[in-house]
Amino acid sequence: MDKLTIAGRTFDSRLLVGTGKFSSPQVMAQALVASGAQIVTVALRRVDIDNPADDTLREIDRDRYLLLPNTSGARDAEEAVRLSRLARAATGIEWVKLEVTPDPYYLLPCPVETLKAAEILVKDGFVVLPYINADPILAKRLQDVGTATVMPLGSPIGSNQGLKTRVSLEIIIEQSSVPVVVDAGLGLPSHVAEAMEIGADAVLVNTAIATAADPVEMAAAFKLAVEAGRKAYEAGPRAPTRNAEASSPLTGFLRDS
Amino acid sequence: MQALLSWECFLFLWVSRMKSLKVNGVERQFAPDVMPGTLSALLEMLGVGPATVVAEVDGRIVRRDEFHQTQIKDGQQIELIKLMGGG
Repeated sequence: MDKLTIAGRTFDSRLLVGTGKFSSPQVMAQALVASGAQIVTVALRRVDIDNPADDTLREIDRDRYLLLPNTSGARDAEEAVRLSRLARAATGIEWVKLEVTPDPYYLLPCPVETLKAAEILVKDGFVVLPYINADPILAKRLQDVGTATVMPLGSPIGSNQGLKTRVSLEIIIEQSSVPVVVDAGLGLPSHVAEAMEIGADAVLVNTAIATAADPVEMAAAFKLAVEAGRKAYEAGPRAPTRNAEASSPLTGFLRDS
Repeated sequence: MQALLSWECFLFLWVSRMKSLKVNGVERQFAPDVMPGTLSALLEMLGVGPATVVAEVDGRIVRRDEFHQTQIKDGQQIELIKLMGGG
């Protein structure tokens, strides 16, 4: 499997993993190891003053994983920029997964505010990985303003519905000059294999791993699926055909006519 | 009546001496002798532990390594933010 390069940094793994919803920091740490991930997403929230020592991320080895803070909870560009700057101050790194989701029911990203925030953050020196709907035009606009990737969704966050946006994802992949990371809604290893087979550069999974009955086994399954899908893509899959194409020779049958 | 007024007067004077900070959206009162002088002192008082905490003081971002030299004053709005699990 060839390597993934984002903003000049090279990664062996093409599976990004989110750190939300795990039952304990220990399970999360074991699942991250099993996933082989090198980039893990984190969120920013107020310290709970009633439980001020709580630190769910204490088990994350910062030398092993690149922390990718997200701007989840931001409803507009201004909030996303504020969260990004706080994340930079907290982590000392300039990578940010830009999420602007004003609608709490489907958590779909706002294209207008996302593009606006991306422009500001790129100018401010951030490596911006924007979460977007699978909109090829928006993906091009974002890459034109200098985002490091685009992260189109397969289906709504945490919905486990798989690649509902496949036709648009194929167009984005065809047109993109930056890595395409398919994010959100990937509920099964077969979903990520499909994304990788059509040429996605990477995928991001959180809910499907964190909420599985055995998150560590599920993380291992997603790792295998990402590798299988990527290898298949690199091997050059054949397009489907309407008619049958015999695999066995069409001569030498045991009959006379 | 005289006594009641004095008590109210005392209460008013006492309350007016109190310092306040708005921390993560909640107003907190501090007697002058325990009012934390720096962000580090505030975190220690509240028992805030995680290494990834970052602060905003009246909208200005303050890194953790600047907490000990960041003076805080009566009436300021302080946000204490940390990294946590997320997708």
